[in-house]
Amino acid sequence: MDVMQMANGLLMWIACGIPVVFVVIQAVLFAKGAYSAGKKVGLTDDKMRKAMKSSAVTSIGPSIVVLSGMLSLLVTVGGPVGWMRLSMIGSVMFESIAAGLGTSAVGVTLGTDAMTEEAFGMAVWTMVLCSVGWVLFATFSANKMEKIEHKLSKGNAGTLTTIASAAIIGVFSAMVASHISKPFYSMLQKAEELAMSSAWHNMLACILGAVIMFVLTKAANKKDIGWLKEWSLTITILGAMIITALV
Amino acid sequence: MADMNKDFYKDEYTPQVHKIGKLTGYLGVVLAFIPVVVLAVVYGIVPKPAALLTAFISGASAFGVLWFVEPISYFPVVGPAGTYMAFLSGNISNMRIPCASMAQVAAEVEPGTEKGSIVATLGMAVSIIINVSVLTIGAILGTSVLALLPDSIKAALNYLLPALFGALLVQFGMKMIRHSVIMVVVAFALYFAIGMGVFNWLPGASNWLGTLGCVFISIAVGIATLSNAKKS
Repeated sequence: MDVMQMANGLLMWIACGIPVVFVVIQAVLFAKGAYSAGKKVGLTDDKMRKAMKSSAVTSIGPSIVVLSGMLSLLVTVGGPVGWMRLSMIGSVMFESIAAGLGTSAVGVTLGTDAMTEEAFGMAVWTMVLCSVGWVLFATFSANKMEKIEHKLSKGNAGTLTTIASAAIIGVFSAMVASHISKPFYSMLQKAEELAMSSAWHNMLACILGAVIMFVLTKAANKKDIGWLKEWSLTITILGAMIITALV
Repeated sequence: MADMNKDFYKDEYTPQVHKIGKLTGYLGVVLAFIPVVVLAVVYGIVPKPAALLTAFISGASAFGVLWFVEPISYFPVVGPAGTYMAFLSGNISNMRIPCASMAQVAAEVEPGTEKGSIVATLGMAVSIIINVSVLTIGAILGTSVLALLPDSIKAALNYLLPALFGALLVQFGMKMIRHSVIMVVVAFALYFAIGMGVFNWLPGASNWLGTLGCVFISIAVGIATLSNAKKS
């Protein structure tokens, strides 16, 4: 039996579907708990619905980016495994590398050589083994880290808010810096033209995202335009993407 | 009334979060092995232990640090419920954190508060459901979907995440402008140094040092300025 036929077979869809469904079940459990807890601490239905709507709108763009990354995995390890690996614990970069490590240990180069049964087994095993480390440590340590955070903040609500707000800015400044610093060190290291062009474009998209968002937020706040506040992120991302693609 | 709320959150909600989180987290790890069990039992495909060990060791040396560093780096942002969910579902910095944060903006709640954590949990759960739905549709339709997209749109998709990060930094930075400007400068210097190979002596530093460094430097700066503000 052809290995890719097996990899795309009904049985693999079912085997991979169980973990994917489970990820959704976990999300629903947490959402239900949070919704009823929200009511008890004084959040209105209206606010919580707004929050969920905003998250739904925000997640569409990045989901499509993940999807376009998943398509390369679909070709190499088949639909079911690619689908499961990106719905659960996954990130595109990690999965392709892990799959490649697995197959190369038995002498098959992912994407170039024909997939063998042995290599397919190795790819799936390696992806699973290497990814559960995150879940194991996160699940083990979440309550311990919460205790440490409370100790450090001495239970002070203001300090907790400061920690969380500062951490968010830390994460996003890290992401921004990774894009805006790349053209500069790549240039110093004399990277090839194609890599340089994509680094410059990413930097431009990042800066445009910041500038457009700044202008829209200022305008929305000054004139108190409700719909603009709600849609500013979507408009910004589309605008920055289109301008960058045209440059 | 305020005291009763506090008790509910601390004594009922939080323990429930940990109970669900631990149960689903560990069960999720077990379920992740179903595909390899099916491969072994139905198709008789079992990798040779030596080859698997080689692959696992190379994987662990490439990613092993991340297993520990990422949950620690992201915990101050996503909290306990967020940690349980974000690591089982993945795609943390590119989707879970943006969605949780935008949910907080829409509900007008502060991060780090009880209401803020509850709203972030809702936002994250919704983003997981949307993400899995989009991937499921994509996986079923397969490569034909992307073949339909013109090249110009495929190229533009590459710029979505950089634009999103730039926009979100502004969204959250406008409340703490001085802090954000300092952090962008620090982060730029750190990433430039990582890119130039200054930290190559740390295993896999380019994967984790940037985020870890920025989150904890930012927290340190935040707490330092907070206590300065109190003194003056």
